[in-house]
Amino acid sequence: MSIILKTEKLRVEFTSGELRQTTKVALGSLDLEVNVGEVFGFLGPNGAGKTTAINVLLGFVPPTRGAAYLFGIDVRQPIARQRIGYLPEMTYYYKFLTAEELLRFYARIFGLPRAEADKRIDQLLKLVELEQARKRSIKSYSKGMQQRVGLAQALINNPDLLILDEPTSGLDPLGRMKVREIIQRLKNEGKTVFFSSHELGEVETVCDRVAIINQGELKATGRVSDLVAQHQANLEKAFLDIIGYQTQSAS
Amino acid sequence: MKASPYLVLAFVLMVCFTLATGIEPRASTWSNRTKSNNVFSMLFGDGRRLFANQFFTMADVYFHSGYYPSIFDLREEGTKEIVAATHGQAENEEQEKKEDFLGKPKDWIDRFGRHFHITEHTHLEHGNEREILPWLRLAADMDPQKIETYTVGSFFMRMHLNQPREAEAFLREGLRNNPNSYEILFELGQLYDENDHDTGRARDVWQLALHKWSKDPEAVKDNKLFFEEITVHLAQLEREAGNWQQAINWFQAAQKVSPDPNALQQRIDEIKKKMAAQPSPTNSQPH
Amino acid sequence: MNTIWALAGVVIKEMYRRKDFYVLFVLTALITIAAGMVNFFDDPKIVRYVKDICMLLIWISALLIAIVTTARQIPAERESRTIFPLLAKPVTRGQFILGKFFGCWLATGIALLVFYVFFAIITGSREQYWPWLTYLQAIWLQWAMLAVVIALSLCGSIISAAPSSTTTICFIAVAGILLFGGHLNMVALHQSQPLQTIFYTIYFLIPHLEWFDIRDRVIYDWGLVNWLDCVLATLYAAAYTGLFLLLTWLGFRRKSLNT
Ligand SMILES: Nc1ncnc2c1ncn2[C@@H]1O[C@H](COP(=O)(O)OP(=O)(O)O)[C@@H](O)[C@H]1O
Ligand SMILES: [Mg+2]
Repeated sequence: MSIILKTEKLRVEFTSGELRQTTKVALGSLDLEVNVGEVFGFLGPNGAGKTTAINVLLGFVPPTRGAAYLFGIDVRQPIARQRIGYLPEMTYYYKFLTAEELLRFYARIFGLPRAEADKRIDQLLKLVELEQARKRSIKSYSKGMQQRVGLAQALINNPDLLILDEPTSGLDPLGRMKVREIIQRLKNEGKTVFFSSHELGEVETVCDRVAIINQGELKATGRVSDLVAQHQANLEKAFLDIIGYQTQSAS
Repeated sequence: MKASPYLVLAFVLMVCFTLATGIEPRASTWSNRTKSNNVFSMLFGDGRRLFANQFFTMADVYFHSGYYPSIFDLREEGTKEIVAATHGQAENEEQEKKEDFLGKPKDWIDRFGRHFHITEHTHLEHGNEREILPWLRLAADMDPQKIETYTVGSFFMRMHLNQPREAEAFLREGLRNNPNSYEILFELGQLYDENDHDTGRARDVWQLALHKWSKDPEAVKDNKLFFEEITVHLAQLEREAGNWQQAINWFQAAQKVSPDPNALQQRIDEIKKKMAAQPSPTNSQPH
Repeated sequence: MNTIWALAGVVIKEMYRRKDFYVLFVLTALITIAAGMVNFFDDPKIVRYVKDICMLLIWISALLIAIVTTARQIPAERESRTIFPLLAKPVTRGQFILGKFFGCWLATGIALLVFYVFFAIITGSREQYWPWLTYLQAIWLQWAMLAVVIALSLCGSIISAAPSSTTTICFIAVAGILLFGGHLNMVALHQSQPLQTIFYTIYFLIPHLEWFDIRDRVIYDWGLVNWLDCVLATLYAAAYTGLFLLLTWLGFRRKSLNT
């Protein structure tokens, strides 16, 4: 089984303050491996360092130490991002463009030929159910619609690896279900999905494997069923155990 | 092989420097605009003259304590009263009816409106004339070729504000910008004559003014009055100085263009009488 | 290259959909026409006055459009987080900067073209005279100058995050160079030795944007600038544009985009 996403002893520190005196360790030393075709849940409470790890994977934040690879290519090289799709934690897009123009713009960046781009745009707008709104500018969209535009842009290049940062946060139950459906569909197509979340219900149903981090440290990785078995509880209980919420239980 | 970006940076900086030194002498021929020391002329070019007229008008507005016919009321554009005042023609202002000043009310609305405006025809006096000076200063900056600005400014400074030296400096500035202006030279002569009582300098300057006037074919054609004015001034100057023969010569010159030669003849006769009683030592001709 | 044009296209779309530039254009048109009306009959040189005022407005408007549009680009991308999905695509930071640069430059060029067409129509209809080669040179040199200004603003927007402060600083710097850059050598002449060399160095190191101001040739119809000089000026502008873009890239390439 080949590895599609990998981090090695990844460490990220943030310096802040006037004189750069305070250092905040967002990630301690993270080792992760994600296999091709998996749906991988990246779990942790707020502030655990999930977004930071994803930002390193996308090259937004340079690692303080260690390295990260996508498709075996160092993330510092833009070509590593050719076959990925990314949905940021909070999505905003160019408000003055329409959904169609936005997708066409991203298609051009991937160098898709015109005919193929047209086909994909039609497909995606159908998938995220924005066909009626395709010629309206994004500033008139509701939050849910914007999230769906985000999903569509993440899929524009028909990526092999999807990186989603809390894709369901802020959505209503129907929206969450739709997102889960889409993830499931992608899995069936043989794509790899790497997504972060702190909502365990959705994780349980779609993930093959999960990693749990807390305060920048990796606490556990493995199949959902293994973790549940190990802690003799449901995932929620296991999660709380692992992040040390219940002091009396051993981990 | 990859060059360090800082090396590239240094290289580009060098290219910039080389190009700058190479182009600099050529660039000076591309445009005059930025070589000017005057910010206004750099920004507005000739467009600033439009403002110069405006500022000159503003000076006139201030002269009238605020109320002034708007551009739509201006019947006949020409000499502003502020200019007339410098030529001593505004002394009959008492007779100016306010209706004349603003024109007859055009309709009942206009008549009604005049209850709310300053319609009194007033002029600044007792040193308050200085209020107009900033406007003239601006007008001069905006349009250094507008002669009236200098003559009017100088007139108010030396006659009403007792600042002959400032007036002289302002006129000299005007001369630098308009070396051939006989009007400015004339005003400068008046300053030397009336304020400084320096006959010699006044004479020199006036003679130079006359010379400049004669070199300007347009002025010779259209501004004969100036010739009379300056010759009469010269004649009076010589009369005060006791150079009677020269005074007579100047009056005779003035007679040639004067609309009223008889009045001048009277003055000549007066001098001749005095000469007969007490002969003058000098007898040279004016040039 | 395709990526750069795609990025540039978005900037241009933004400019004409945001409509700031229409305001400036209408303002310029109104002021020019108003200037043409005032005192129209009692001044024979009125056409030249109007030309001068119109040209000044074009210069100010073009600078405003260039600086304001550019200074906003990168901070707005970060503020609205649109930069994240964008840079998650295979786009290098260098391409991103170049795309923004070309977008702003082309957008300003379009605005400039509109302004000059208006100018040509206003003056041409008065004078029945169309020195289009002179216009071409003027617009080209002005556009080349704006490339330097845009690169400078882009560089400024990397250093300071607030678009308003970038705009102000760039506008002051550019206005300072335009007004006084040409006099620095005169200042140098009056200094004593160590200062003199410093002033001369500064004089030759600042981008002489004022060289590109050939309004006089348009207004007084002086004829064309030597074409070789035009090429040299273009090279000069290109060198400074490259310099500022390089600085921008150096500042941006390692920048952490975590907010
Ligand atoms: N730019 C930054 N400067 C300083 N600290 C930061 C910065 N970004 C994130 N952090 C800190 O790093 C930690 C991890 O943040 P993040 O990765 O956003 O958490 P989450 O798991 O909720 O996505 C948090 O404690 C956060 O305060
Ligand atoms: Mg997060």
